[in-house]
Amino acid sequence: MQEIRRKYVVPGDRIIEGNFRPLFNVIKAGNSIISTRIGIAEAGREGVKVIPLSGVYIPRVNDIVIGKIMHHSSLSWEVDINSCFSAHLPAQDVFGRDFSPARDDMGRELAIGDLITTRIIAFDRTRDPMVTIQDKDLGKVPSGEFIKISATRVPRLIGKRGSMIQTIEQATHTRVLIGQNGIVVVTGRNSEGIKLAVRAIRMVEEEAHTPNLTQRVKTLLNVSDSAPADTSQSAPSQNAPQNEDLQPTIQEVEEDLEVEKGEKVHDSN
Amino acid sequence: MTQTRSLIDENGKRTDGRTGDQLREIKITVGVIKNADGSAFIEFGMNKIVVGVYGPREVHPKHMALPDRCVLRCRYHMTPFSTDTRKNPAPSRREVEISKVMREALEPSLMLEDYPRAAIDVYVEVLQADGGSRCAGITAASVALADAGINMRDIVSACAAGKVDDRIVLDINDTEDKEGDADMPVAYMSHLEQVTLLQLDGVLNEDQFDQCLDEAVKGCKMVYEVQRKALMQKYFGNETELKEEQ
Repeated sequence: MQEIRRKYVVPGDRIIEGNFRPLFNVIKAGNSIISTRIGIAEAGREGVKVIPLSGVYIPRVNDIVIGKIMHHSSLSWEVDINSCFSAHLPAQDVFGRDFSPARDDMGRELAIGDLITTRIIAFDRTRDPMVTIQDKDLGKVPSGEFIKISATRVPRLIGKRGSMIQTIEQATHTRVLIGQNGIVVVTGRNSEGIKLAVRAIRMVEEEAHTPNLTQRVKTLLNVSDSAPADTSQSAPSQNAPQNEDLQPTIQEVEEDLEVEKGEKVHDSN
Repeated sequence: MTQTRSLIDENGKRTDGRTGDQLREIKITVGVIKNADGSAFIEFGMNKIVVGVYGPREVHPKHMALPDRCVLRCRYHMTPFSTDTRKNPAPSRREVEISKVMREALEPSLMLEDYPRAAIDVYVEVLQADGGSRCAGITAASVALADAGINMRDIVSACAAGKVDDRIVLDINDTEDKEGDADMPVAYMSHLEQVTLLQLDGVLNEDQFDQCLDEAVKGCKMVYEVQRKALMQKYFGNETELKEEQ
């Protein structure tokens, strides 16, 4: 295991001195690397980065996001993806290459106000992002409870290999669809289950950077510790002290990062 | 200048009992407005200021957007009840000017080129005014911007120094501002060691100017410690110290 140094930083803090590669949320100033966000700094062999704890969603190519159709022109839909840039879904993506604005009625395929799961196919900040729904599991979201959370909390809500969200889904008998942009849709047959899942998601959002979160979510959901969903974590025992040192936070964030690398969206099916 | 009373007594104490190099008490709370992307509340002596930051978000009207960087919009506003006589809520000449200098004081710390075609809105609302509300406003705004998760090179701290009874003192209060000889608000980035705002109302000779600026920068560094502590408190609880491990 390579040596990784971590610390808590605010903007302007010097993370490390020396010849390191700046990865993200850091800048190089002279011989030192400086943080540009509040978060947890990590200095490893591959470079230095800061995992931010706050901020709005900035689109990235291949992110899977949930968006809302705002309106359409004759050639594309405009999709609100909870960011400062609104996305465009070309009509050809839905109707195929022989799309004709005169013949095809765009309003019938996707109406204003519809929620869609989409993937960002192009974005470079100079133009608005382009999205697609031509992929497995993408397309219209028929129904569900709509929640907005901060995009920085998404990896925490998913948990390592989906452990957190699986716990919530199994305990409440719901399905939770999470977009990288912080939009979450909860569906299920039982309205009590949906309510409970929403409460658990809100709890994860508010207490994302506190230790022992999985444990408290389980307490909220009345799940016993040996739930099969959480085999990936070395969960602390039920009566573990609440305010132990902050090491679990860092472990958890590390887990989150793995999620960020691998899994872009979680869908239980 | 019509000076009716001495602003510094024989023990070197000022009107509010401070010594020459002492700041007023500063308290910053981060994340007080749920609807904003970032927010802060500051009590700087008798000043009470709340700041809300929104963005980066879409620019309206759209023609204001810049193709290569983000637009920073600042609004400094004093509530009608912030002063002892009612203040007209319409933006005054002074407020328009302070909004501008605040924007210019914050801009160098922000990496606006990271968010082209977007806007960041900073609303600074003065609930109770004492001297030095622009400094307190800049201080709180910078904390709120960091809370909003906007990429920043450094945090901006602001503090005034001035001349009272021919002495250079730190952190001018309302009485000293009105009856003193000079007031110099300074905004400063502690890590980059750069000044982003420097104004001067009054007359200073060259030595006094240097001394005043040094004093203000010293004050800014003290303010920075409070800002940092407030941010750490919000995000990492009581673990305010840098925690380093293997």
